[in-house]
Amino acid sequence: MRVLIAMVRDRFDIVIVGAGPAGCTAAYLLAKAGFSVLLVDRGRGAGSKLLWGGKAYAQPLRDIWPELDREAPIHRWVSRDRFSFVWGDRVLTLEYKLGRKVAFTVYLPELVSWMARKAESVGATFIDEVVIDEIIVRDGVVYGVRSGNDIIRANVVVDAEGINRMLLEKLGLASKPNPYSLSLGVKEVLSLDSKLIEERFNLDKGEGLAWLVAGDITKGIPGGGFIYTMRDSISIGLVLSIGHAADMAEKGLLKEHVSSLVESFRLHPYFRVYWREADIIEYGGRMAIEGGLSYMPKKLYTNGLLVVGDAAGLLVNTGYTIRGVDTAVTSARLAAETIVEAHNKGGFTEDNLRAYEEKIKRSYIYKELVEHRGIEDVFRDQFFFTKFPALATRIGAKLFESDYEEPSMLRALLDSAREEDISILRIIYKLGRVARKL
Amino acid sequence: MRIIVGIKWVPNTQAVRFDPETGTLIRRGVPSIVNPHDLPAIELALRLRDSAGGEVIAISMAPPPAVKGLELALGMGVDLAILVTDRVYAGADTLATSYVLSHTIRKIEREYGSVDLVIFGQETIDSSTAHIPAQVASWLEWPYIYYVREARILDNKVVRVVRELEEYIEEYELETPAVLGVAMRSLKPRHVSLSNKIRARFEKKLIIWSNNDLKLDTRCVGLKGSPTIVAKTIDMPEVPRRKEVYKPRDARDAARWIISRMLEDEKLRELLQRTLWGVKS
Repeated sequence: MRVLIAMVRDRFDIVIVGAGPAGCTAAYLLAKAGFSVLLVDRGRGAGSKLLWGGKAYAQPLRDIWPELDREAPIHRWVSRDRFSFVWGDRVLTLEYKLGRKVAFTVYLPELVSWMARKAESVGATFIDEVVIDEIIVRDGVVYGVRSGNDIIRANVVVDAEGINRMLLEKLGLASKPNPYSLSLGVKEVLSLDSKLIEERFNLDKGEGLAWLVAGDITKGIPGGGFIYTMRDSISIGLVLSIGHAADMAEKGLLKEHVSSLVESFRLHPYFRVYWREADIIEYGGRMAIEGGLSYMPKKLYTNGLLVVGDAAGLLVNTGYTIRGVDTAVTSARLAAETIVEAHNKGGFTEDNLRAYEEKIKRSYIYKELVEHRGIEDVFRDQFFFTKFPALATRIGAKLFESDYEEPSMLRALLDSAREEDISILRIIYKLGRVARKL
Repeated sequence: MRIIVGIKWVPNTQAVRFDPETGTLIRRGVPSIVNPHDLPAIELALRLRDSAGGEVIAISMAPPPAVKGLELALGMGVDLAILVTDRVYAGADTLATSYVLSHTIRKIEREYGSVDLVIFGQETIDSSTAHIPAQVASWLEWPYIYYVREARILDNKVVRVVRELEEYIEEYELETPAVLGVAMRSLKPRHVSLSNKIRARFEKKLIIWSNNDLKLDTRCVGLKGSPTIVAKTIDMPEVPRRKEVYKPRDARDAARWIISRMLEDEKLRELLQRTLWGVKS
């Protein structure tokens, strides 16, 4: 009897590589649909390789787990979105007050552990601390996965390996990442009493704030800063373009270590009052996709294989929002739907799995990606990281920092532009470009 | 052949801080691992099973998160893993721990049949006492051999053991049941296998016993059963290193520079003289 069980367990309907938001969602939906599912991750526990502590959009997750609001490890419901331009000590801030529960702050490792427990509760087998070395293809058809000397067979492999696409690269489905498509995220977690957080950020109990910052806090590197209020901590940090940072360092334009950039942000006089007396309880760094279509592999499917989440390059970065969790979850939902349909059609052939890519292309994710296509180029334009925040804050200074006369809005703009040596036409042209892409 | 291997779930080496007030380790926020010196013990147990047949049972007394450690042992190919966990076992010194472990072994004998060998790592990276195997052997009144590098099962329940000491090698033949302490780094542990992990999960090979199962006198376990007290702890200050970088033309130049620098320092000069020429100053 024992031998028989052992024989059956080297084969699953579905093997999912990577227990992040996409992998766990696929495991949950496919196990729920009745498939035998193996979910594998190299870290200890689901999501242990993730770092994101920020804002996640709720509705795409509620589509799968209606119990989300009640059960998930949500820290705060985002009621305020802020955006600031920073130039030296000058800061210009915009705030939007939200009317409903659209997004919540969360530590992604916590959310993903919850998703993995959900997947296990409907019968998926989750094995951690094991590395998958290879997706095995025989005669053009995915045969299974290899881990060391073990081969586990699968009818379908779902590649949810994330941003580091070692398996897809081996299969020739993805090329080595271009440093200009990647950013480095560096985060600090500051511990602060929840009542103090609510007082200082002007929040009701349980409400949260998401804050993106652009300007010279990145020392001219394309990227920006973020601040998210968690339950009893604040998550702050920077996201910096790796390719550009490397270029600047080579030219001698960047002398500081990334940790000191984060430190300067934390100590900035405008921001530091929010986390006065808070302790740094954690810090870390991780790669992130810059956004746009550039990271998407040429194909998201082959005979017996689907690619989901970050591995599929499905992260939307508009500059004012970054959506990677809900897009990963949605891509996994579409993959799971496709697998169920392919099963009903009689097989997991390339023809039957092609529907996945079509579903992706019809989804809001792809529409967003196309809409914001080229946003990477905008982000790479130093104008937006140096000239623009400088100009915006200078205008602010003219309007609000005058001892005697108050200039008109137009006069403030024209004078500021002259002082920053930017032509008005160039400003209009650049703003037009941003407006088209955002 | 029924072999038990004991493993300890320890905080990862350098990441641990020390609480000078309580004299205990601060484990919070520190990722734990299987004591690295236990891995050769697991490997030896598996090799003996693979050659002589039978089964290997991994045991550990630890808080519930230690299931991750036992999952690693199962991933290496152990047949069954038992986590012994209970709040009343908390705060145990080596005496109280070995008491619980020896009773765990007794219970295994009652439930699964007689035990032939109990194998431990030489010591643990978080305390380095090397008490546990000796104490377990004492409780069980079984023979104990330590610094073991090799073992082989002979007929008639006899095991031949090689222990390597600094200047000579000893070979013993001893009757089972016996307790072995395996020398550090003596055997290269095998990799964790995905198949083993899957099989362990499906066959429910990880079981948990509490004091409801062992029914030990609570005065003999945990903090209450631990006579050891930490009388004093001394924080060892870090020795500042005097770093110097010298770019030599070649190896001869490098050697000459190193020797000349050493000769300038009184203590290093003495060390150099002792090691090179055996001269005592």
